[in-house]
Amino acid sequence: MKRLLLSMAMVANVWAISNYDLAKKSDAVMSGYGDAKAEMVMTLINANGQERQRTMKSMVLEKKGGDKSLMEFLTPADVKGTKFLSYEHADKDDDQWLYLPALKRVKRIASKNKSGSFMGSEFSYEDLSAFNIEKYNYSGDAQEVTVNGKKYYKSERIPNSKNSGYTKQVAWTTTDTFLTMKVDYYDRKKELLKTSTLSDYKKISGVWRIGKIEMLNHQNDKKTILVWKNETIKNGLSDKDFNKRVLKR
Amino acid sequence: MRPLLGLFLFSSLLYGEFEYKGYVGVDTQAYLTKPAGKHPGNLTLQQQLELKYIEGDFEAAMNIYAQEDSYDLSDEKNERTFIRLDELYGKYYFENDMLFCGRNIRFWGALEVNNIVDTFNTKDFRTDGLDPQKQGAWNASYTHYFENSELSVIAKFYEEKQEMAAYPYVYYFFPEKFGPLDVSYNPNRKSSESLYRPTLYLSYSGSTESDYPIDYAVIVQHGFDSQRAFDSVVDLASLSTEFVEEVYLVNKLMTYNTMVVGSTLLKVEALATDVIDDNVSSSGKTVADYYQFGLGIEHTLTSLVGDSDLGLLSEYYYYNTFDQSNKIATDLNLFQVFQNDLFVGFRYTFNDASDSSIIAGAIIDMDYQEQSYSFKYETRLFDVLSVKADYAYINPSKDTLTAYHLMGLNPSDGTVSAHQRVGLNLSYYF
Repeated sequence: MKRLLLSMAMVANVWAISNYDLAKKSDAVMSGYGDAKAEMVMTLINANGQERQRTMKSMVLEKKGGDKSLMEFLTPADVKGTKFLSYEHADKDDDQWLYLPALKRVKRIASKNKSGSFMGSEFSYEDLSAFNIEKYNYSGDAQEVTVNGKKYYKSERIPNSKNSGYTKQVAWTTTDTFLTMKVDYYDRKKELLKTSTLSDYKKISGVWRIGKIEMLNHQNDKKTILVWKNETIKNGLSDKDFNKRVLKR
Repeated sequence: MRPLLGLFLFSSLLYGEFEYKGYVGVDTQAYLTKPAGKHPGNLTLQQQLELKYIEGDFEAAMNIYAQEDSYDLSDEKNERTFIRLDELYGKYYFENDMLFCGRNIRFWGALEVNNIVDTFNTKDFRTDGLDPQKQGAWNASYTHYFENSELSVIAKFYEEKQEMAAYPYVYYFFPEKFGPLDVSYNPNRKSSESLYRPTLYLSYSGSTESDYPIDYAVIVQHGFDSQRAFDSVVDLASLSTEFVEEVYLVNKLMTYNTMVVGSTLLKVEALATDVIDDNVSSSGKTVADYYQFGLGIEHTLTSLVGDSDLGLLSEYYYYNTFDQSNKIATDLNLFQVFQNDLFVGFRYTFNDASDSSIIAGAIIDMDYQEQSYSFKYETRLFDVLSVKADYAYINPSKDTLTAYHLMGLNPSDGTVSAHQRVGLNLSYYF
């Protein structure tokens, strides 16, 4: 009996996956898109169920040290033409600029604030930045769990940045495709703050791309739904398309 | 041939992409404290329409602004009704270069309240006198883009009028009478040179990639100065005096920079001006060479209450002249409002779905004991209606002829009124 238990434990250990390896696999299936262009529709839903919609055009350039992204706001009408350019860095604060069309002004902004709300939504700037393994600390193995008859890896990661709005993130990842389906975010008081539900994954040119994220804030009952539309990848974009000059175009 | 050409132009337009945006708004102010004789308030209808056409690397745009003041529909006209073409241009992007030709508005600067180096466009004082809009300028430019910087050569083709509303608009900066003399303002510029003489700019700007990144810009200018000297011509026969703007030539060196240190932005704007025109004034005096600088700090405290942010702002502005012998040298003659001034204020951003914010602050003039305080709340209703409410209080200098002193001067008894206003702006955006 002892021998049987030992061999079972060994088998379990062989099949176990560390939180770090799982993050690497999860990152790998979403990587390799080169660059992406999409329209984004953000629906803000308050605690009473009232909805407001924001639309944006986005472009992202996949880079090893940190992605570059450009977002142009299309609605509400008073912010139409406002652009947000960001160069992410794993080892230092991001470089960020805002273009204000009414003033024709490109304004440098301090990016230390990662936990601030993006456009009044339940997404923070750090929620919208690309997943980067180096931004987190991992320890231990992922847990295999079954939810509604489907198997997932439940894993934990701790943000490295002291400016992060979170102390812990718990992710549920499919065991076959390594796609993240849900993330719980714990605030600085270590209480559950938000849950994101990720869906509508599509494989474009062999790379998985997210189609929809629902972000529910448990502390204020507000919800934001972000949907990507008409996404294309590997468009041949380069650093030039993310130069500061594009803000005034 | 003509129909064919028309068809060609029409079909080529179909390949491109049209964009439009704009607003229709009502802007109203009530002046709680004001000089006798000036209007107690204003009700202004405002419209702006911007059209853009983009086809590949070509872009064309037009931007028109118009406003109608209710007083201009009555006998108490204050000359605040007009249509203004701010932008009408075409530009073409090459691989690493850009050509621009037409009329546009440019922004140069790093500070928040007063941009010393933002000298390209003239201001239009027919719009809100406490926050005058800029008007477009005809120019052409060539820009070459490097990896992290750009070099531009710009030629401005015409020196625009500094448009002004008329008495009894509260922000008309001249009194109706000065002693026994009737006072008037003539916006037509006086110059020893043609106003079509090009003003040239060479601009180099970029960003550094370091632990403390810096956005920098250096601009060299040769041509007409943005600072105007005000010359008064007295006509004793009619007991009147007319203020005329002197426009003169300069060589100017400007710079503006922003450094990021964590959650803090450090900002510097500076310029040095060599006046190269002679004998510009009826008094025979030349405008003195001058220098100006502004220092700013902006620190943001995040997630203060819920998602809200608090930006703490402080800026200092200084103006002075070099050689003052036989020169028009005082900042008062030159309407330099920010000559030794300190601004302290804050921006409270709610980070809500309506992008609500409060901006408040005080500007202290340390030479002339003048203070101005302002408070502005902005929000959005139903996603299309922008709402701005403001309050301002200005305590003008009691004994120095500053712009605010002249604005508040009661011609009957020579006293100077403080200025106090509340304002509301509702604009529908499309």
